[in-house]
Amino acid sequence: MAEVRYTEAEIIVANAAREIEDGDIVVIGQGIPMAAGVLAKATHAPNCVILTEAGLVGIEPFRNPLHIADPTCTRGYTYSCDMIDVFSTIVNRGLVDVTFLGVGQIDRYGNMNSTVFGDYHDFRMRMMGAGGAPEFFGYARKAVLTMRGGKFVEKVDYVSSPGYLDGYDAREKAGFPPGSGPKVVYATKGVFRFHEESKEIYLAGVFPGHTVEEIKAEVPWDLMVADELAELPPPTREEVELIREFAPEIAAGRRLQLELSIPRILNILASRTS
Amino acid sequence: MPEKFMQEDKRMTAREAVERFVSDGDSLVIANCLYGTPYALIHEIIRQGRKNLTVFQQGGIDEIDQLILGKCVSSLIMAYNFRVAGERIETVLERALRRGEVEVEDYSNYTLLAMLQAGAMGYPFLPVMSGIRETDVYRKETICAGQKFGEVECPFTGEKVVVVKGRNPDVAVLHVQRADKAGNAQLWGALINSKWACLASSRVIVSCEQIVDRDTIMRSPHLTIVPSFRVCAVVEEPWGAHPSELLGFYDYDMIFRSLLFMQTMSEEGGKAWMDEWVYGVADRREYLQHYADRFGLKYLQELRAKPYPSIPADYGASGRRAWDENEVSFNFQLTRDEFLRALEEKGGFVNG
Repeated sequence: MAEVRYTEAEIIVANAAREIEDGDIVVIGQGIPMAAGVLAKATHAPNCVILTEAGLVGIEPFRNPLHIADPTCTRGYTYSCDMIDVFSTIVNRGLVDVTFLGVGQIDRYGNMNSTVFGDYHDFRMRMMGAGGAPEFFGYARKAVLTMRGGKFVEKVDYVSSPGYLDGYDAREKAGFPPGSGPKVVYATKGVFRFHEESKEIYLAGVFPGHTVEEIKAEVPWDLMVADELAELPPPTREEVELIREFAPEIAAGRRLQLELSIPRILNILASRTS
Repeated sequence: MPEKFMQEDKRMTAREAVERFVSDGDSLVIANCLYGTPYALIHEIIRQGRKNLTVFQQGGIDEIDQLILGKCVSSLIMAYNFRVAGERIETVLERALRRGEVEVEDYSNYTLLAMLQAGAMGYPFLPVMSGIRETDVYRKETICAGQKFGEVECPFTGEKVVVVKGRNPDVAVLHVQRADKAGNAQLWGALINSKWACLASSRVIVSCEQIVDRDTIMRSPHLTIVPSFRVCAVVEEPWGAHPSELLGFYDYDMIFRSLLFMQTMSEEGGKAWMDEWVYGVADRREYLQHYADRFGLKYLQELRAKPYPSIPADYGASGRRAWDENEVSFNFQLTRDEFLRALEEKGGFVNG
């Protein structure tokens, strides 16, 4: 059998999808996480319930949504509620098994920033607010992180989502549900997990084609490395086909997507006006 | 106490609605987020040059940029804003922030919406998930300083609970699939913040794809997201959410949005976009005409939704009245005469 060729995003999506178990209630935003959720549902977790904070519960999107309320991609779903219901009756009641988040900045204890890069007032880049991150990250049983273009930093510029705070039992002491918190980070070169006791992040596996040194160079502290690095499976042919069918733009990655689509869109606009 | 709006017919143009119900200095909440964005109403607010608005926004997509380009906004209280590109591209909002033209307070989706829910319910505050305490959303205050979060002791457990303040914006703008002329507004698909944003506000301006008769509303009351007595104006505005989307009507216009995105990357481009698509047209009808002239109507038609109708719920009842055709009571199984006689005999009357 010929080797399966896959993109950087596809190996992340395929591995992140395996974090979902059949029957899980999964809160997902757009992008790589949604592709992972849909892949899980199409393969090993047909009974997982995917919901978005917009109040669309039990969705089966046929195209990767542009945003959490995107209706054409969530045509038909099984429970319609609003955002208050999602956060109060689902998240706060501890019913969320898995949540996914994309990483902007992350520190050694899994605290994350998706609000502002640089100084709060003299910023480099300003997203706004923290969206659903604080509550999903705070109260889901397990948070799965995906990182493309994100950064490890000694200290995040703004804490949007609480990870393990200062490590050890700080998170539980602060009142978050026992056992909750970030569990794994799927990045482009490898996968990271959190030390059982200290809650410090460590390198747990390296993707084919990358080295530990390369990864350590991207982390501003002396990164812990597992004694035995996990062998991460590349995506199967079926997984790759499913991802490209559902979300070709995710498979391509944002940079390539913009590179491919902007000239085409400019051409379309030009042809429409001529 | 919120004002009641009891007129039978509140139909008017977007221009009239904004003239009458939106003032400089108002707090405004955009009562749909990401989906079904009320662009027709927002463009009218910009055209009329409203100033110093405090805008509550759950999740912006590209309308906040337009309100900023229109110099309508002084403060933003928001939980999320869609951002397409990386650090190298400066957004309209970032430019305005750097120049000090707008101020922003950051919230999470839940804490922002809980403020509106509290306001809608008439409560001074509501508890939220206390984990927010461990974030900079809690610690960092700007325009809401001292009013952003509070803490109360649970009277039952003694536990410290984080609370948010109830908020009542002056006006909400909402776009829905259909409404009657009195303002019973029906929305389906992603509901997100719409209900709470409307019910929190003093005034609600609704635009809709279609005005329908009262009977249509009464046959599907579960779809009504805001009741007529809270709505002060109803504007029939087909394609009123373009270039965003509305379930059952149209998909978002990705190509048009790309045009907006590419133009607003530069100052001049943003100004040109506003001159062409907001100031250059008098109303939504002219906006659509301009779209058709510039690109061709078929590109709008391509966005049309294909039908996937809801299975209607049967709201029928037996229809039996209190007195049937034989003058027999549904509840007592007595005739009218027997009933009156019983009231006499048992002393049911108190006025002799």
